[in-house]
Amino acid sequence: MTITKMIAKDEWRYWWRSKLATSVMLVGLILIAGSSILTAKQMTDAAHERAHLQSEAEEAFFSQPNRHPHRMVHYGHYAFRTPPPLGIIDPGIDAYTGDSIFLEGHRQNSAMFADRQASSELAIFGALTPALLLQTLAPLLLVLIGYNVITREREARTFDQLIAQGMTPLKIMIGKGYALVGVAGLMIVPLFVAIIFATLDGEPFVSASLFMVGYALYLLIWCIGIVLASTMMRTPSASLGALLAAWVVVAILIPRISSNAAVSLVDAPGKIETDFAVIEAVSKVGDGHNAADPAFTALRANMLQQYNVDKVEDLPVNFRGVVAGAAEANLTDILNKFAEERMQVEVAQANIARYFGWLSPVLGIREFSMKVAGVDLETHHRFLRETEALRFDFVQSLNRVHAEKLTFADDANRSSNPEAEKRTRVSAENWKVLDEFDFSSLPANNRIENASMSLMKLVFWVVLLLVLCRFVGRRAL
Amino acid sequence: MSMFSSFTRELRFFLKQPAAIVLVLVAISLSVFSVWSGLSEVERQQETIERLLVADAKDRAAVLAKESDYGGAAYYSFHLTYDPPSRLAFAALGERDTSPWKHRIRMLALEAQIYESDTANAELAQSGQFDFAFVLSILMPVFLIILLHDLRASERAAGRHDLLVATSASDNNLWRSRAFVRVILLSIGVLIPFLFGAMVSGASLLSIVSVLGIAIAQILFWSFLCLWASARSYAGPTIASGLLAVWMLTTFVVPAMSDAFIEAIIPAPEGGDIILTQRESVNDAWDLPKEATMETFVKEHPEWAEYAEINRPFEWKWYYAFQQVGDQSVADMSEKRRAAILKRDKAAQWFAFLSPSSLTERSLTGVAGTDAKAAMHYQQHVRNFHGSLREYYYPLLFKGAAYEAITLANLPRFKALSDRK
Repeated sequence: MTITKMIAKDEWRYWWRSKLATSVMLVGLILIAGSSILTAKQMTDAAHERAHLQSEAEEAFFSQPNRHPHRMVHYGHYAFRTPPPLGIIDPGIDAYTGDSIFLEGHRQNSAMFADRQASSELAIFGALTPALLLQTLAPLLLVLIGYNVITREREARTFDQLIAQGMTPLKIMIGKGYALVGVAGLMIVPLFVAIIFATLDGEPFVSASLFMVGYALYLLIWCIGIVLASTMMRTPSASLGALLAAWVVVAILIPRISSNAAVSLVDAPGKIETDFAVIEAVSKVGDGHNAADPAFTALRANMLQQYNVDKVEDLPVNFRGVVAGAAEANLTDILNKFAEERMQVEVAQANIARYFGWLSPVLGIREFSMKVAGVDLETHHRFLRETEALRFDFVQSLNRVHAEKLTFADDANRSSNPEAEKRTRVSAENWKVLDEFDFSSLPANNRIENASMSLMKLVFWVVLLLVLCRFVGRRAL
Repeated sequence: MSMFSSFTRELRFFLKQPAAIVLVLVAISLSVFSVWSGLSEVERQQETIERLLVADAKDRAAVLAKESDYGGAAYYSFHLTYDPPSRLAFAALGERDTSPWKHRIRMLALEAQIYESDTANAELAQSGQFDFAFVLSILMPVFLIILLHDLRASERAAGRHDLLVATSASDNNLWRSRAFVRVILLSIGVLIPFLFGAMVSGASLLSIVSVLGIAIAQILFWSFLCLWASARSYAGPTIASGLLAVWMLTTFVVPAMSDAFIEAIIPAPEGGDIILTQRESVNDAWDLPKEATMETFVKEHPEWAEYAEINRPFEWKWYYAFQQVGDQSVADMSEKRRAAILKRDKAAQWFAFLSPSSLTERSLTGVAGTDAKAAMHYQQHVRNFHGSLREYYYPLLFKGAAYEAITLANLPRFKALSDRK
């Protein structure tokens, strides 16, 4: 057995005998394992529930009776965001954004019913997910177990004895580091099991294993940091104090400061506020319900010329349907422009907060975890974009039905003539234009690419601390 | 030795301890930062409301100018509703980052509008806000643990413990005045920025006193816990680890578990179900005979029975009647959901006693009017305002009054619950 392994083994024996270390370890393991089971159950239930609601919504749309196609534009449709497989470990912003969205003509609604709004709001740090435990609490437990790995030897004057026997400080540090890494390894056993479940649920092997590697790297940062602080400080009290201060700053303070900084630096007007600008821009498009709106004069002239007729009544298509389609297209262009702007502002804010990941590995791993799992802000935005595409698609398909299957005369007279009204009702067969919606995560390699910057942040911390260890190890005598 | 001289002696002792001084200075600067960021967030919210009020009035005036009947006026004119931050909100921003505090509503079915949330960036909401409530409920215990856990253990480690005990008149008096100096300096340092912020924002004396009361309770609880622990004859780090474990369990674990437990035992109707049901009802109305809708409507509102006849294929009164019938169809579910949320909140009040941090945070948001209860209160206020719109338009619509633009000058105006509480 090499000397470093002996040191590690000896440390384990010490922890095994110490009531404090074993109970801290036990509490940690129970918490992480318990929350893994609970979160997994919660998220799979949510996934099933939402998939069920999705097919129910589609069913409801298809089973609508024969009616005027524009009625279906207003009847609308629902889309639900199902969580990805790794969501059982890190649900990300799932509880903070609504998970369903109502899609209808002429409007882009925002997602509704964030869980957090109906919760009892006791949990200041949010639900106890495996991600939160591993990112925030596991480091604290590692600190409580390992703060005195070297200061203890110093206090008992055994450190000098080891040196006298020909050990170098660096070797002692490596041995103690091994011991701590062993503890960290135990802590991610539940994570490993959860990841296997996620893989069975369809998570590709690459992203699943990278997810594991990310968490391993993150806990490694703490192990190295703890050994380093324990070497640099002279007494157990000092090493505990320094490590606790570091934990409070990195895990509690910087995350909040980062979000405050983001909000202060990038102003994000709310939806109500941007809606005023939207209303102003939209008012120029013309009302698609009113074919006589002056906004469509040019369209009318073009159509008349194209089909070489004098009156809209003589067009081979229903001009009212054409207007509805044209107005929806123009309107959607404007709405998309504003929606994109808003999303860009949100991403700009998030990116500012993410810069703080260079200062705090807790933010680094959080970003990494959300990006690999596919539960970050950008995923929510992708959900909004995909549902918008779905919305535009079915609305325009219905407008096409409106233009092609109805006559202008019937359509114009339907409020006054019951017979005409009957003829404007098209068969429910036409509702099949709605596409099925299934929100799935990005391919693994895209998610990995998105997470590369955050992985760099973690690697940066490992390298920085290793260099410091080398430096300190040479002088710590 | 008198109290005063032992106090000054311990103060001199404290001033020679760089680590303790640094900690108190750090606590002060964090408190300053939290108050500053709370004040600027509240100012941002205030400015937003002011901008919205101007834009809202302008937009409504422009829309109404184009209308030629009351039905159209009601359909196209939106009304801003909002809940201004209280004067104490800077200290506890509470749920204002996840619960909506502003809406623009119109006279259509309310259930389709009230759940829209115009809240901030979700990824930032996840990190939470850095306000004074956070300093007091989460960080204060950590400061106290660091300052107080090794009162005796450090002296023991330095070999002075027995000497100190032997030479002081009363054993307890010595540790008490030493702890007293530390706690007082830390508390003053953390509370003065708050008092300054409260003065800037003009908070009422009563609310300030309440916050101070909550702060003192929190500080006393953790001080006594630390003092009790520090009197055990363990090494300093062991005592600190134990105290931190208590802090961690009561701050992270117990609240999250209580939260999950409360949600499990008090089910609330899914918001999505409410919207779906309401939507179906409103859409079905187009296919139903108009009498059926009017009948359901009149059942709840008999005062309009004699005006409920619909003769043309489209009449505004029928349109708004089926909007209201849509609301009626989910009134029960919606009521249950609100009741469940309030019930959860009540249960949380009891569970909070298991976690001093949650209790502090909840008490502060309660005083500041930024808690779940305040959010529900605001929602009810919006419902009432929406009701007053109906009260205003229904006589005009049902009695078929001739359109006169001047009448709309008397449109109900939204008045916030209080300008600034």
